[in-house]
Amino acid sequence: MQYGMIIDLERCVGCHACTIACKAEWEVPVEFGRNWVYRIGPAMVGEEMASTYYPGLCNHCTNPPCVDECPADTIEMTFTDVKSGKKETMEVAATWKDPFDGTVQIDKSRCIGCGACADVCPYNARFIDPSQTDDVSDDGKADKCTYCKPRVDAGGVPACVQTCITGARIFGDLDDPDSEVSQYVKKGAKGIEPTDGELGPNSRYYGKKKDIDLLFSSHTPELADMTQVRRRAMLASMARPAAKAVKNLGLLGVIGAIAAKHSIDSESQD
Amino acid sequence: MAFNLTRRKFLQSASLAAVALPLSKAIASESGVARSPFEPVGSLGDTTVVGGICEMCFWRCQLIGKTRDGRLVKLEGNPKSIDNGTSICARGNAGIKLLYDPDRLKYPLKNVGERGAPKWKRISWKEALDECGQKLKKVTDKYGPQGTCIFPHGSTAKYPMHFFERTVGTPNVSEASFFQCRGIRDTAYLATIGKAPGEKVDMPNAKVIFLLGGHFGENVHVSHIKSYMKGLQNGAKLIVVDPRYSASAAKSDIWVKIKPGTDTAFLLAIMQYIVENKKHAIDFIDEYGDGFDEFAEAIKGWTVEKAAKECDVTVKQIKEVADMLADNAPNVSIHPGRHVSWYGNDFQRQRSLACLTGLLGAYYVKGGWVPAVGPKVGKTSWAHKEHEEEHNLNVNSDDEYLHPYTPPGTPTELIRDAALTGNPYPIKGCVIWGQNPIQTIPGQEKMKDVLRQMDFVMCVDVMPTDVTMWADILLPEVSYLERYDYIKTGTQWDFSEKHQQYISARMPMVPPLFERKDQVYITNEIAKRMGYEKDIPINSIEELVEKNLKVAGLSLEQLRKENGIHIREGKNPYQMPEDFEVIFYNEDIEDAGFPGAPTYVPVEQPPAGFARLLYGRVPVHTFNRSQNNVWLNHAMPSNPVWLNDALASKMGLKDGDEVGFINQDGFKSRTTTTVKTTPGIRGDCVYMGHGYGSANPLMSVGVNAGVDDTSLITKIAVDPETGAHGMRNNFVKFIKDGKIIDIPSAA
Repeated sequence: MQYGMIIDLERCVGCHACTIACKAEWEVPVEFGRNWVYRIGPAMVGEEMASTYYPGLCNHCTNPPCVDECPADTIEMTFTDVKSGKKETMEVAATWKDPFDGTVQIDKSRCIGCGACADVCPYNARFIDPSQTDDVSDDGKADKCTYCKPRVDAGGVPACVQTCITGARIFGDLDDPDSEVSQYVKKGAKGIEPTDGELGPNSRYYGKKKDIDLLFSSHTPELADMTQVRRRAMLASMARPAAKAVKNLGLLGVIGAIAAKHSIDSESQD
Repeated sequence: MAFNLTRRKFLQSASLAAVALPLSKAIASESGVARSPFEPVGSLGDTTVVGGICEMCFWRCQLIGKTRDGRLVKLEGNPKSIDNGTSICARGNAGIKLLYDPDRLKYPLKNVGERGAPKWKRISWKEALDECGQKLKKVTDKYGPQGTCIFPHGSTAKYPMHFFERTVGTPNVSEASFFQCRGIRDTAYLATIGKAPGEKVDMPNAKVIFLLGGHFGENVHVSHIKSYMKGLQNGAKLIVVDPRYSASAAKSDIWVKIKPGTDTAFLLAIMQYIVENKKHAIDFIDEYGDGFDEFAEAIKGWTVEKAAKECDVTVKQIKEVADMLADNAPNVSIHPGRHVSWYGNDFQRQRSLACLTGLLGAYYVKGGWVPAVGPKVGKTSWAHKEHEEEHNLNVNSDDEYLHPYTPPGTPTELIRDAALTGNPYPIKGCVIWGQNPIQTIPGQEKMKDVLRQMDFVMCVDVMPTDVTMWADILLPEVSYLERYDYIKTGTQWDFSEKHQQYISARMPMVPPLFERKDQVYITNEIAKRMGYEKDIPINSIEELVEKNLKVAGLSLEQLRKENGIHIREGKNPYQMPEDFEVIFYNEDIEDAGFPGAPTYVPVEQPPAGFARLLYGRVPVHTFNRSQNNVWLNHAMPSNPVWLNDALASKMGLKDGDEVGFINQDGFKSRTTTTVKTTPGIRGDCVYMGHGYGSANPLMSVGVNAGVDDTSLITKIAVDPETGAHGMRNNFVKFIKDGKIIDIPSAA
């Protein structure tokens, strides 16, 4: 199974209901968004005038670069297929691709806030919420669209899909050939693949040719500069055990606690 | 920045890690994923509250609320709704940010500074109501009931408006929804088909949808957009007439890039062409038409060639539009529009639209103009009282109407002129309820002068809008999420589906906070103090709603049981009333001194160096009412000005440049916005979204965000038949870095 979302640009009127519903559902800070709507144009596409929208969100890529770059400690995690009850155990860092539904998720309790995942995402679909600090991260936590996994697992639809005033957002299983999303893919709905990328974005766009041309020509991103991302991730990874230690303060004992406190205090003097 | 690891921190961390490593490893392997407190819980587990009726705009979608620990955390469309369904728009979704806006009015306030530069002092309700009652009574005693004027807006303003209009007897009522918006449309259609048209076009079942200035998507009313989109998905062709490549133009089959102000000429040429080619609905007109021959004769001069020149479009395109309409008649939606107070020649344009609909036989047919048959509920309010003397600013000393096709109320300009001159009578009391005349009515300085000369000004609102700065007493009202009031009725929007009616009443989703009160309480308390206690029609808003529901055999309790919405069998809306007629040539209009057949009146063109200022909607704001909403502000924080890209390069302007404006009267904008260059707008006009640039520092989010377009509309046009404003006859130049930049002529 691979969940995906179709944005039908013939139907989308650019109203922003999706972005605001998401903010309400997931208490997203005012200055950030798990999804977005950009208006594009009016501009000339060849001889034709065109104007459309880029309603974007996490693409829950088939090959998500963010997952590979996460430098957090890995743990063994057991996943359960909501539908069949089947279980699978995988070694995952603080972000992973779900083996059953194909969504990309984050464990905020283990996220070290390094920003590598956000940096590597060519769509800017992730952000670091600096207000979310704990003993694992002083720098905030990564956040992004989850395809409303808790809602979907409970049998509902994503909040943006539910509120969409024109039915322009369609959610479903891309691996099921009979699903509405698969029908759209057959009609030509496609994801925005970065230049030379092979990420396999699963949020896909359908629309009039001139609108799709306008969207893709203006918003096809470059892949992230990996040297930069990796350098940061490496540094963050080296810092990681300290974060762990602080988290497990209770078990460290008095000496450890003093050491941890000292580390925090001296940092604040920098 | 998220990543700020210093070398020092890195070294310290690394040494600490050596101690901690074994322990942390043990923990990680024995446990699964612990839920982080930062992981938001989502609304699924929250308590659902029914009975919400949105009022982020006047469309009033039906809501459910999600509450957590007594706090409303999310609004959603009521799944039982046959109108908006589970959908609500951006504004609807952002309702909780109005509800809990820290800038909201909380307590009654008294202005101990000056009007326009207020200093607020918190006072008790008793003191506030005493002062309002005494001051308004004093004005009435001294100047008569005609000495007060009222500017109402929204569902809470009806009850106080009726009190002042019917019971006290003031005729000076200026509703923005009529005089700065749709009044012209309503009376023009009344003079043609005997009915106000609403937006009642059967778009889901149309073969062609024709929009004159309609920019759906930028302008959003949920079930209306659903109906439009259903039509397009069903294969309707879309014709959009607009100087700008609007959100609707972007979905159109034909975009008519018309010269602003010339719409009536365009419509006349289409009608002339259809008649000339005998493509009109001859049988329909025989049966239901009146004055058709006189009409056909009157529009004869409007050849497509003449209109092409006047409207700056091609002959070919006019014919193409006319043919598309005629070939698909009668299943065509000629949209009547909504905000139509454009150029001061608007009554004739709206008459043209009504006549074009008739010419195509597009009334009461699939895809045409079809009024839904909704349920009836009660209309409890203040009774009409007899008053010794009837006053009407709209009638001159010879008992002739100045604006005979005025919508209900009194034309705003007549009220303002009377207030400023004292003729024919002084107006010294002012009640502003939910309206923001500063950012709604053109001529801000004139409005301020009107307010300055008052003996007493009171405002009731939820937010400290710009006009509240001019109040002597400012009263905080409960929001639409905290009160009973409006009963929303209607039908399913796709008439090809089973006919159903619904009734839904607004009920509070959370209790009010602070000292906010509802309109019945406030009005009744003022009425008592003005000596009208015995005229009070109802004691509480809840009682009023119960009484009105009873007419439909319902109660609040019953509605609650039915999850907020009562649904019952509906009626066929296509059934034409027996007395229906389309008056093409209207003798009464002629007798009143105006053209009996739709007539084009040219408007003034921009002087050299200027472009016409056009404004319109953005999907995240309703007028200027939502500008302080932090989510909506963030979605569209400013209102970039659309400028033709060819002109922009001549002017040395590029996307994102920060500019201000100066208009033809030398008035400068207080704030700036950014430039959006595009080929999608004509060169003789510029465009910006309306609802920005509040001047009130108490609106901490909306203050100075973007440019207040209304502030630049200083030249006042009045539509002669209706007395409503025309607001697109002002012209601007740009100001960048303090330098005025001429806009080259479009040529």
